[in-house]
Amino acid sequence: MEQERTSKNEDVYTLVEKIKKGDREAFMTVTHLYQKRVFLLAFSFFHNREDALDIVQETFLRLYQKVNLYRKGKNFQNWLLQIAKNLCVDYYRKHYGKRSELRKENPVDDMNLPLQNEPDPHTFSDLKGIFTPCLKKLAERQRMVFVMKHYNQLHYNEIAQILDISLGTVKSLHFKAVQNLRGLMAPYMGRQV
Amino acid sequence: MMDCKKYKKGLAAFLYGELKGDERELFKAHLDACPQCMGELERLKEVKKGANSLQEDIENAMTSVDWDALPMQIVENIFKKEAHPARESWLEKLSRLIFQPRLRPVYAGLLVGIILGSIVTFMVVRTPQPVMVEAGEFFAPRDFLENVDLEIARRDTLDYLEKSQYLLLDFVQSPSEEAAEFWRSEFASQKARDLLSQKKYINSQLNKFQMAKAKAICDQIELLFYELTQISVELSAEEIRKIQRLIEEKNLLLKIKLLKRELKRSEV
Repeated sequence: MEQERTSKNEDVYTLVEKIKKGDREAFMTVTHLYQKRVFLLAFSFFHNREDALDIVQETFLRLYQKVNLYRKGKNFQNWLLQIAKNLCVDYYRKHYGKRSELRKENPVDDMNLPLQNEPDPHTFSDLKGIFTPCLKKLAERQRMVFVMKHYNQLHYNEIAQILDISLGTVKSLHFKAVQNLRGLMAPYMGRQV
Repeated sequence: MMDCKKYKKGLAAFLYGELKGDERELFKAHLDACPQCMGELERLKEVKKGANSLQEDIENAMTSVDWDALPMQIVENIFKKEAHPARESWLEKLSRLIFQPRLRPVYAGLLVGIILGSIVTFMVVRTPQPVMVEAGEFFAPRDFLENVDLEIARRDTLDYLEKSQYLLLDFVQSPSEEAAEFWRSEFASQKARDLLSQKKYINSQLNKFQMAKAKAICDQIELLFYELTQISVELSAEEIRKIQRLIEEKNLLLKIKLLKRELKRSEV
C-alpha cells in the first residue's frame, strides 16, 4: 500500500486538482504525504499526542472543505501548514487559553504565558524538565516561530509565508524566542545534573 | 561595541544555519575575535540543546501513531461527517432562512428605501412650511401689514389736518366780535373736542412711523384747540383777535396745506 502510494509520485498540484473533483484516493495520498509534518508542528506546539492528532484530523478536514481556495503557484505545504497553525492557535485559545493574557486585546508578542497547571521547573533536574515549561511560557507567536524553526526545520522565508508576516518579523521573533528561552532557563541551569 | 550589538541580534539566525556565504564567514570571523559574542553563542546553544532534549518525546509520539491507517481514518471521519452533518439548532435554521442569498435583493431594496425615506424626511423637515391659513382667516406678510398701517396713519393724519384746517379757517375768517362767540358755539366746540380726541388716537401712529414734521404741526393744532376750547370763554375780543393774527403770522393754515400736499404724495 505504501509502495503503491509513493510510486504514484504525482505532482501535488495534480493531486489537489483531483481532490477538487472529489477523488478520495488523491485525498488519501495527500494526507499520507503531509500528515507527519502537520503532526510534528502540532505536537511540538502542544507537546500532547492527542491534541496533535486532533489538529491533524481537523487540518485535513479543513483541507477537504477549502481545497477550492488553493491556487496553483502557492507552496502547498506552506498553505497546509498555515491551516494547521491557525487551528493550533484556535485550539490553544479554546482549550488552554482561559488566562487573561490570551484575550485579543493584549498583544500576543508582548506577553509571556504563565503556567498554572504545568510542572514547576524547580522539580526537574534534567534538561527536558527545564526546557518544556520554559517553551510553554513563551509568547504565542514566538513559540510558533521557534517550533517551526527547530522541529519542523523550516526556513525563515517559509515561516514568514505560513504566518503571513514579513521576513524581518520572523527573524526578530526567532531572536526574541531564543533570548527569552535562554533567560527563562538560566536560573535552573545550575541544578542540571 | 556597535558591531557586537548587530552580531548578537543575528546569533539565533547563525545558530540555526540561516546565514549563508559571506555573511556566515563574517560572523565566524567576528566570533573568533570576540569572546563576548562567543560566550553568548555558547549560552544560546544551551537553548538548542534544551529543545533537542524533547526530540525523544517527539520521536516516541511519532512512532506511536499508525501512519498507514491514519489517512483512512481521517477520510472516513470526513465522509461520515459529510453524510451526517451536525443537526442545526433552531437559531441556525432561522439565521439561514433570514440570511439566504435569495433574499439579498429584498434587503438591498429595503435598505435603499430606508435611506431614501430618511433623506426625503430630512429634506421635508428642513424646508420651512408656509403657515396654513384656515378658511375665512386673513394672512398677509409683515411688510404688507406695515405698509397698510402706514397708509392708515397717513390717511388719518390727512383727515385730521383737513378738519382742523376748515375749523381754523372758519375761526380766522370770522370777525373779531364773533370770534369769541365762535368757540362758545356748540358746533365749533364739539368739532374741536372731536379733533382733540382724534389727535390722541393718531399720536401713537405718528410716533410709530416717525412722522416728526406732521407731528409737530399736529401738536401745535392740538395745543391751539385745547387753549381755545378751555379758555376762550374768558378771553376778550382783543385777545381773540390777537390769536387770529398769530395763526395768520405763523402761517399755520399754509403749513397745514403744505403738509397735506406732502401727505397726499406720501412724502412724509
